[in-house]
Amino acid sequence: MDINTDSVYDLVLGINTGGTYTDGMLMEYHSRKVLSAHKSITTKRDLSIGIEAVIEGIHIEDPSMIQMVSISTTLATNAIAEKKSKRVALFLIGYDPDLIASYNMKRSFATRHYYYFSGGHDLYGREKQSLDLQAILSKIGDIKHDVDAIAVSSYFSPLNPEHEIRTFKAISGICDLPVVLGHHLSTKLGSVERATTAALNASLLAVLKDFVIAVRRAMQRRSIDAPLMVVRGDGTLMSDEFATQTPVETIHSGPAASAIGGRFLSRIDDALVIDIGGTTTDFAFIEDGQVTVSEKGATVDGYKTAVKAADLLSIALGGDSRIAIDTEGILTIGPERVVPISCLASQNNRVPDLLKRLSRCSRSKATPDWLEYWFLLREPNSIDQLKTDREKTLVDLISKNPMPLPEILKTLKVLTVKQLGAEELLRREIIGKASLTPTDLLHTEGRYTSWDRESADLALKIFSRYQFKTPDEICKRVWNRITETIIHAVITFLSEKSLDLSGMPENDNMARWFFYNSLYDMNAHLETSFRLRQPIIGIGAPAGFFLQDIADKLHTDLILPDNYEVANAVGAVAGSVMVTEEILVYPHISADGFEVLGYYMQTNDGRENFDDAGDALKRAKSLSHELALGAALRSGADNPEVIVEVQDDGLDTYRVQAKAMGNPRLGGRQ
Amino acid sequence: MKWVEVDTQQAYERIRKKIITLELAPGSLINEQRLSEELELGTTPVREALKLLIHDDLVFITERHGLYVADINIPDLEQLSEMRISLESFCARLAALRADSDDLHVFEALQLEQARTPSENSHLLLDLDHKFHKALVRAARNKYLTRSLNHFFDLSQRLWYVAIPHIDFLSASVAEHLDLVEALKKKDADRTEQIMRNHVKGFYDRVRVVLEEKG
Repeated sequence: MDINTDSVYDLVLGINTGGTYTDGMLMEYHSRKVLSAHKSITTKRDLSIGIEAVIEGIHIEDPSMIQMVSISTTLATNAIAEKKSKRVALFLIGYDPDLIASYNMKRSFATRHYYYFSGGHDLYGREKQSLDLQAILSKIGDIKHDVDAIAVSSYFSPLNPEHEIRTFKAISGICDLPVVLGHHLSTKLGSVERATTAALNASLLAVLKDFVIAVRRAMQRRSIDAPLMVVRGDGTLMSDEFATQTPVETIHSGPAASAIGGRFLSRIDDALVIDIGGTTTDFAFIEDGQVTVSEKGATVDGYKTAVKAADLLSIALGGDSRIAIDTEGILTIGPERVVPISCLASQNNRVPDLLKRLSRCSRSKATPDWLEYWFLLREPNSIDQLKTDREKTLVDLISKNPMPLPEILKTLKVLTVKQLGAEELLRREIIGKASLTPTDLLHTEGRYTSWDRESADLALKIFSRYQFKTPDEICKRVWNRITETIIHAVITFLSEKSLDLSGMPENDNMARWFFYNSLYDMNAHLETSFRLRQPIIGIGAPAGFFLQDIADKLHTDLILPDNYEVANAVGAVAGSVMVTEEILVYPHISADGFEVLGYYMQTNDGRENFDDAGDALKRAKSLSHELALGAALRSGADNPEVIVEVQDDGLDTYRVQAKAMGNPRLGGRQ
Repeated sequence: MKWVEVDTQQAYERIRKKIITLELAPGSLINEQRLSEELELGTTPVREALKLLIHDDLVFITERHGLYVADINIPDLEQLSEMRISLESFCARLAALRADSDDLHVFEALQLEQARTPSENSHLLLDLDHKFHKALVRAARNKYLTRSLNHFFDLSQRLWYVAIPHIDFLSASVAEHLDLVEALKKKDADRTEQIMRNHVKGFYDRVRVVLEEKG
């Protein structure tokens, strides 16, 4: 028997779903030692498939030793962007339809089904209009079979949620749909953002619940019996149970986890974190050991929300971005992500043969579009039900072997890709594309050689010859373009200024000259440069290849911590469990508005009256402390620390915020 | 939510539904193995779910013979009806005295919903009846009463399915809700209590007849 209790050996499993790969890693929590890692392809059609593959594929000696599983997932973001979330009816109480129309905000509610009702409060929490419950219940009767969930937001509900609560009670008396209340999700006063957040949250309830169940099943199959945590958009953790209630908080959790993971592995408290994946490059900043959080709420698919999320920038450039020549003859990298051609060639013998044949053709025949291959990613199953004959023909055509795009067009007798009608097949990941990517260039240079280097050489040769360039010249142009794009993003991110680098350069534009001169030192007299004060922490497999040049040009250090390739999965377990509780204290104003009769202390569930602001604040501080501590413990925090802060919102209104934070409690140990 | 709990929850809900809808016949022997195969869930969650159902009085266990679906018999029915008749009529009295305008809006909305529901749709009618009873309980504002009545609702649900073949009775029974709403609006506690007493008593009388016919 081990009597040395100091040597606790706690295994934790972290998982991150990225745009291209789902990464999993097994770590000993206290020593931060990564014991094994596994990658599987992210399955956008159903993220749980990729996660299950990671859980099933990772090397775990004794699953019973695992004390926690934590996941950062783009599920919520994807579901919203791809309109896979559920149908929601949004009930707006006390909102002015004319005002919404005049600000052209109608589209910002994230649902087409929104309805106005009288009610709501004013900025002193006084009832503005009486609540029209009859109209609300009658509307529920009309629509309850057409939606999956209901969201309710009433005007100034953070100051006085009475109308939201009464509406909730009445609706749940007559129908069984889930009901989400605005004041539960945001204590800020932006009424449109609060309504949008409530609607998005309602639309994601079922999505996240199904996801959690799928992950739980996968854990069960591997006999992992441990708490499951989900990463929030600000990098903190919540229990799966909280996550199924507030799914909207998982927006942007992937990039936030990367930043936290980078900090955790490098133990550096102030740095710019750059995470380069297959599809995107994400930027985040670490300050005093915390990922910086955006003051404005997170924006997702163009919808402004009240969700707290990491301040970050994401650009569509990664190791598997497609390298192509656009119609104006300009070299482009991304935004589309494809399978590297060297990877496809290593899996299928026909591809190297075809590339050899193509390289023997004349320059005018061997155009770069012949480097794009389409292939079958998976057999369509019964659920997919191919809709058109054209879809079936296309699937049959490439079912045995990958085929270059021009040959597909010729065989099916169409002129353009659009005529193939393959959008659905691509979206559902039945068909995949492969082409020339930065990963292939790494193969030709011998810097990264997991797959078929010879095919990468041939593809680059064909591509360069068509441009009347040598392969070396093309490589240099691609690496320079990647450096320029990433540095441009770094400067945009940190300065919040914009500079358009596309199109033809104007010779008299000083900003643009400054940018390029700082990268390439072109002027005989003027030396300009960028200097980043903090180091760069690189994350993701391509970071090791792309970022050194960038760090040099920004005159800073590049730090690649051990296991930087899977730092995003590390970030999923590295965050703290956090719960915030807010209580508002505001004056009770007489009907004529001239006299302060006392102070209200408004919590989620009710309010209390005080004669004196000091007493109200004192009570608010102790109550918020108590609520945050309780919620953090229920959420799986170990020995959480609570910090209470009072913020003056003006108009004699105070926001008392208690933040309870602690490391995750491993294995459910009390 | 632990993984076992996810599956236990599912097993619980599905087995419970089978019992309430009489798909698992009252008094029949429960085969754990077969249930687990049928539901495509592990034996552990099925066993856990059955434990919960024992607690709900829907499943019972004997030392020798294993697990049975709780039988529906006349002596049991009498005991259940005694409790429900007195508690529900008491609850209706409290509701008449305590219902506020929000509660009345809910009752009116349910009334409207009932007018829209085709009388042959027994499942929707059953659901509506359930919501009426829950609304009354909420309006009565007594948490201990709520707890006791919820337990009896669950047991009574199964009796609805016994009565469902006698559809004429169903719509008549639900029609009594209309009088109930009128009495509630007038805050007439005596009348509300009386309607509820007759409503619940009528229901049990009918179920008793069905059981006696079956022998």
